[in-house]
Amino acid sequence: MNSDRSDPLHRQAGAQHVVSRLMRESLVDKAVIAGTEAPVRAILPRLNVIQIGGMSIMDRGQAAVMPLLKEIVANQDDHMQVIGVGPGVRARHILSVGLDLGLPTGALATLAAKSSAQNAYMISCLLADSGFVYLEAPFIVQLLPAMLAAARGAVFNGIPPYDLWEHPPAIGKIPPHGSDAGSYLVGEVFGARSVILLKDVDGLYTADPKNDSRAALIDDIGVAELAARKLPTLPIEPVLLDLLANAKLVKSIRIVNGLVPGNLTRALKGEPVGTLIHV
Amino acid sequence: MQAPDHSLLTELGKKLVAGSFSDANLQRATDATPDIAILPWVNVVKIGGQSIMDRGRDAVFPLVDEIIANLKRHKMILGTGAGTRARHIYSLAIELGLPVGVLTVLGTAVAWQNAQMLQYLLAKHGIAFLEPEGFASLPHYLMERGAVICQGMPPYKLWEANPAIGRIPPQRTDTGCFLIAEVYGARKMIYVKDEDGLYTADPKKDRNAKHIARISVQELLAADQDDLVVERAVLDLMLSARHIHEIQFINGLKPGQLSAALAGEPVGSIIFNAEHEQRKAS
Repeated sequence: MNSDRSDPLHRQAGAQHVVSRLMRESLVDKAVIAGTEAPVRAILPRLNVIQIGGMSIMDRGQAAVMPLLKEIVANQDDHMQVIGVGPGVRARHILSVGLDLGLPTGALATLAAKSSAQNAYMISCLLADSGFVYLEAPFIVQLLPAMLAAARGAVFNGIPPYDLWEHPPAIGKIPPHGSDAGSYLVGEVFGARSVILLKDVDGLYTADPKNDSRAALIDDIGVAELAARKLPTLPIEPVLLDLLANAKLVKSIRIVNGLVPGNLTRALKGEPVGTLIHV
Repeated sequence: MQAPDHSLLTELGKKLVAGSFSDANLQRATDATPDIAILPWVNVVKIGGQSIMDRGRDAVFPLVDEIIANLKRHKMILGTGAGTRARHIYSLAIELGLPVGVLTVLGTAVAWQNAQMLQYLLAKHGIAFLEPEGFASLPHYLMERGAVICQGMPPYKLWEANPAIGRIPPQRTDTGCFLIAEVYGARKMIYVKDEDGLYTADPKKDRNAKHIARISVQELLAADQDDLVVERAVLDLMLSARHIHEIQFINGLKPGQLSAALAGEPVGSIIFNAEHEQRKAS
């Protein structure tokens, strides 16, 4: 290595290299990949990421949205909050039209992301008076810490900016990374204190409570156990389980009923409300 | 509130509005929808970072000449890899404890630098560089000038998912270029590297390594090799891709290989989806 250091532009085998631990290595090599395992620092450890569901909350309008926003504002002094917002029924509609036209998953993802951007923008307007700002993805990348220092909270599009680069899913054509995945990933990359998903159900049930009266609420469950149960439907995007399994910093998410006043406050305090899904 | 009027929706549309996206039955229902190829004549060509760009003039100039020679015959989206500067910044950022999403932002800047350099060399032929946000203009540039340049990383930024092991972003420029080909329903996905394609072992380290002209993605995944010619994410995505059923790897240091691959010749190595071949045969 000493000889490498004397020539920081290590010229060998026809290529000009910059000296580094990964120099000339294959980044696909399993041993090289395993060698990069190391602790990760939390960038914003006081951050709480709260996701407002699209169909479950936003599409219900004022009756569901306004009490929730009031509760968010009431928690401003105690908790740093950024709000992700889901797309709801307009995304379902454009997926329907887009699928009928034969558009690929990447195009569908780009279209659906505009529906959640609309919802996020509406939420930011309703929270503007309390100092929340709306941040598009490039501003999350560059400005979130500054905005949180200056503003009193931020709202972002829950759907991640995968756009045309969204993965074709294993089955069918529905974009797999929705606002649950996007909100979680924002929490994970900043090393957030918590990721709370607000839905219109009390949490995760042993069966779908809308169809089965014997369905029981699960307070707490591991990702592996949940995946093994192979429930026919989930109140969250299935891809979230894969993301959680690889978590470095945010090792759990909490699903709570955003239609019940007080639930968000309890979740922010760390009380066992709804369902905790953890690694 | 009045019951919503769903009469304009298709049968599938009604299910989409009422159902759960996590329901495999609903997912399967979307599987039966038709696919259109948005740009069926375009070829996505990924220029390697470490394998081509980092070699400088000796490797890049002949390849640029070959690209120019093909402009009239083949339309190309040219994506760039990152290479040695990405390896340096990944090492540094990992040591500083930064998360995978931040590494993705950093790596994207390196692929971007390579794309800019390539664009300076092709600028006099009217070739433009497009950011992901500008991709709506892509058909126009392709029709007018035959090619565009983009950086190869997918625009996942801070939203890149963690890998199962280690800290290197798992979806880099091989994956980004593959997904461009898939979303546009491209004619070909060609990876330009510094080897003739796939070998039974690393030809840089093992003299007995044998060249593999054609192999299925299923076979390659089952072999679970320690090292691969392409990011593992590409192999996984090939299994669910609806348009791109084979990808080709060629040696960009050998004049004529890119032209041959664009002409449809089986130079280098091809990874194909065996399930798709079986479906086609039956």
